[in-house]
Amino acid sequence: MLLTVSNLTVIYDRALIINDLSMEVGMGELVGLVGPNGAGKSTVLRAITGLVGWEKEVLRGTVGGDISLKGKVVFDGERIDDKPAHEIVKKGLIHCPERRRPFREMTVLENLRAGAYLVKDKAEIQNNLDNVYKLFPILHSRAGQVSGALSGGEQQMLAIGRSLMFRPRLLCIDEPSTGLAPIMRSEVFKKIQEIRELGISVLLVEQDVSTVFKMTCRNYLLSSGKIIAEGSGTDLLQDEVIRKTYLGL
Amino acid sequence: MIQEIVINGLINGSIYALLAIGFSLIFGVARVVNIAHTALYMAASYFIYLGFDYLGMSSLLAALISILLTVALGLVCYQLFIKPIREHESAVLIATIALAMVIQEIFLLAFGGNYLGVPPLATGYFMLAGVKIANQHLLVLGAAFLALIGTWFLLMKTRIGLGIRCTAQDREVANLMGINVNREIMAALGISVGMAAVAGAIVAPLSVIDPHMWLHPLTMMLAIVVLGGLGSIKGSFISSYILGFTEAVVVFALPMGAFLKGPIALSIMILVLLIRPEGLFGVSFEEER
Repeated sequence: MLLTVSNLTVIYDRALIINDLSMEVGMGELVGLVGPNGAGKSTVLRAITGLVGWEKEVLRGTVGGDISLKGKVVFDGERIDDKPAHEIVKKGLIHCPERRRPFREMTVLENLRAGAYLVKDKAEIQNNLDNVYKLFPILHSRAGQVSGALSGGEQQMLAIGRSLMFRPRLLCIDEPSTGLAPIMRSEVFKKIQEIRELGISVLLVEQDVSTVFKMTCRNYLLSSGKIIAEGSGTDLLQDEVIRKTYLGL
Repeated sequence: MIQEIVINGLINGSIYALLAIGFSLIFGVARVVNIAHTALYMAASYFIYLGFDYLGMSSLLAALISILLTVALGLVCYQLFIKPIREHESAVLIATIALAMVIQEIFLLAFGGNYLGVPPLATGYFMLAGVKIANQHLLVLGAAFLALIGTWFLLMKTRIGLGIRCTAQDREVANLMGINVNREIMAALGISVGMAAVAGAIVAPLSVIDPHMWLHPLTMMLAIVVLGGLGSIKGSFISSYILGFTEAVVVFALPMGAFLKGPIALSIMILVLLIRPEGLFGVSFEEER
């Protein structure tokens, strides 16, 4: 397994956000992490990629800074739950954050270069840049524009493109379809599938269950910080209780 | 009079730009409102005096060493006093005020309240289009421009600069790019204090050195940063020259103008706060967490 999470528990200020969660992502898989609003999907990603740990360190001693993170996260055979976020990136575990979050005052090109911050070889940066432009031609034509001026869909492409600039092996994408027009959504999902075809594993957090279930190999259904079901989209949809209670379909 | 206003406006503006950009930079990157910024600028002036007068160094060597010493002092102070409380913004503010006063008192104890001076690096003057320009003024302008261009290059064209700008815009996402945020903050602080030190080094021969010399630049710097928009480097740069020239006009064109330069800067600050609180190029900070 590429990523193994075991018994992950996250507590923010005595509120139990993630409760003893275990999950796996295999090499080349596209795994969905779905669930209702507030289930803790983003927190799972943030815990895996070191952001919860970072928050814990930065906010220590402030109001709401009492954060506890327990459990074990193993990526490619190496334990990473005690590593800082900027070290975890080096292993190829890349997090494409919620709300896209481009560096708004920087140009598209600068954003992509920021994604390649860890790459020191200029030729490799150029090569990665060409690949990203091939996948998202729109970014090429917008290269000189300030990223804050892009449309939501373009910003999402930029956020994904930025995560591809440094040898990703597992890409964790948080809610890429939020706030996008339907046509843009299907475009983004199509690109995610293309990324997977490049041999990059993907862990996809989404609300748009009907689309996700068509793409993914396996899915985890998260509710109130606990995984309550696991399986392919068809399996999950067959269960009447899950379908009605958690997926609202 | 016009030529005096132009020369002094340029010099004031450049020195304020060095101070205000550094101040904006460290606010933008670490959200530290560093009131001790101009105290460090004063420290650079004292270090030059120390090197030149006590240790007999050449003024150029004394200037270089004083810049390095000041940067080191800034980094040590940050590690000891600011870093442990960095997320408590009001505590940081109070700590930097305290730090500035400590620096002031140390120099007061060490050198007394006397007005000290160091000789100019260049003497003489030359004529340009019928205007007498002191060589030292030209040297100061050259050094200030060089430092400003150097900083621009560092921030816009290098990998460190990219990391610093990413950290300033979104610390959390910067982490996700593999950027070591703490290291970038140290780098930004080094640049910030370095600019203040350059300002202190080039001001030393032009004015007197005394333990209260940090107060007037502090007032001006705060007015500039408010006018330019807190955290905006471009805004700081432009409004430095606006206030630099305003100060030169006030000093040279108004009777008793030298007494008015502080009040006028503060009036501009208050006006900006009333009419356009975000300043000329206000940066609205995104929610971070």
